[in-house]
Amino acid sequence: MIVTAEGDNRANFIGFLTLVKREMVRTFSIINQVIWPPVIQTLLYVFVLGIGLGSQIKAVNGVPYAQYLIPGLIIMQVIDQTYSEGSSTVFQGRFMNSIQELLIAPMSAFEMVMGYVVAGFARAIFIAALITVLGGMLVRTWPIDWSVYFLTIVLVSILFASLGVIFGLFAEKFDHVALLTTFVITPLVFVGGVFTSTRFMPPVLRTVSQFNPMFQMINAFRYAYQSSGDAPLWSSLVIIAVMAGVAYFGALRLVSIGFKLRT
Amino acid sequence: MQALHIDRLVKRYGDFTAVDGISFDVPEGEFFGLLGPNGAGKTTTINSIVGLSKITSGSISLFGLDVTADWRATRRLVGLSPQEYNFDRYLSIRDILIYQAGYYGLHGKAIRARADDLLERFGLTSKAKQVYTRLSGGMKRRLTIARALIFEPRLLILDEPTAGVDVELRLELWAFLRELNRDGMTIILTTHYLEEAEELCSRIGIIEAGRLVALEGTRKLVGERTLQDVFLELTRR
Repeated sequence: MIVTAEGDNRANFIGFLTLVKREMVRTFSIINQVIWPPVIQTLLYVFVLGIGLGSQIKAVNGVPYAQYLIPGLIIMQVIDQTYSEGSSTVFQGRFMNSIQELLIAPMSAFEMVMGYVVAGFARAIFIAALITVLGGMLVRTWPIDWSVYFLTIVLVSILFASLGVIFGLFAEKFDHVALLTTFVITPLVFVGGVFTSTRFMPPVLRTVSQFNPMFQMINAFRYAYQSSGDAPLWSSLVIIAVMAGVAYFGALRLVSIGFKLRT
Repeated sequence: MQALHIDRLVKRYGDFTAVDGISFDVPEGEFFGLLGPNGAGKTTTINSIVGLSKITSGSISLFGLDVTADWRATRRLVGLSPQEYNFDRYLSIRDILIYQAGYYGLHGKAIRARADDLLERFGLTSKAKQVYTRLSGGMKRRLTIARALIFEPRLLILDEPTAGVDVELRLELWAFLRELNRDGMTIILTTHYLEEAEELCSRIGIIEAGRLVALEGTRKLVGERTLQDVFLELTRR
């Protein structure tokens, strides 16, 4: 008899690890969809904007333009990929009913959501590491504060993997999963300071951009590379942490009540 | 000991009552058949047992443990072989079994060995490294049962286990299920093949429109007639 189980109400750490491992298997079995595109896209941004067009641009905040771009490009891919991880795995699981394997297992909502979040972080850190190395090799810029580097990626991963789970639960078709990316994430990231400092914007837009959550993420991550930003580091980290907490507990609540999972 | 105890189970979806106050017990070691026409409430009852449906009222306990209060413990006791093929498309056949065990908190050499044993037993060893989409219908059906057994549950629930499989495989599965039951496993079977229920089950419950309309030993229920006659008489709307 393998199972010890009678009356066994212990937390299921192995179940959680198995889910993380399963998500990593999924990530690497669709490597041409989730790993190489962000890396190639970043390469193109660096060559076309950073090295090509950037040679005509003066330094931004005292940093050569190609180097200035790198942190924003990394956090843009972290946002995109953690959201994709959470949303697509939950939606696919619902659509194919394979999520029932988890729902009938002795796994709590906390273990499930944490599994998706950690898997999202693992995907994000892998992609971030690749782009970081490319940035170092191509434009000779490296993080100077690794604690801010990791902390920002952790918080952003929690936020967007949780949002992914929430949208994966609400979505009725794949098209719905793309709503947040198309209409919210991408526009806000592009005006959030990936390509230029908000200091170059008119005063009104500069004030408005403080309310753009993507600006706070890009700003915080830029501190890891350049020790400076357009807003204080601590305020950006606090804002991201609060949003991450709200999103995580939102996802946890939905999974706990079995929203669109248990009839 | 009762493997399953259902007490006045009610499940409503809005105004629709799918299960309407069902109560029955399944003693440990029994091979029990849960029959009924489409939409009668069989799958809803099963889903309530395994936690896929939220119970509106009433209670369910497995081996003396309440499925709501002791949800984690009871889920370790019951294996479900669902009607649909809901396998993980990113995993190999062998890994489907190993990962399923992982979700139940089990890992290591013993689990890998058990996965290999089950693959051997169900004639799937040669397909171990393939993804499930490459399996035939009969092989997928066998895999659903193997997956339900990987963590050695004490209660096995089979929802239409022989749907779409040929006669030869059906007979093989019957022999296998009988052997499992002989070894002490409690089995609950739903099927539309009435001869299957008659052949395998020692007791049968028939559900019609969410209510239990019969609960008897198979021989007593059938008597001099066929199960099909009894079934049609009880479920005629």
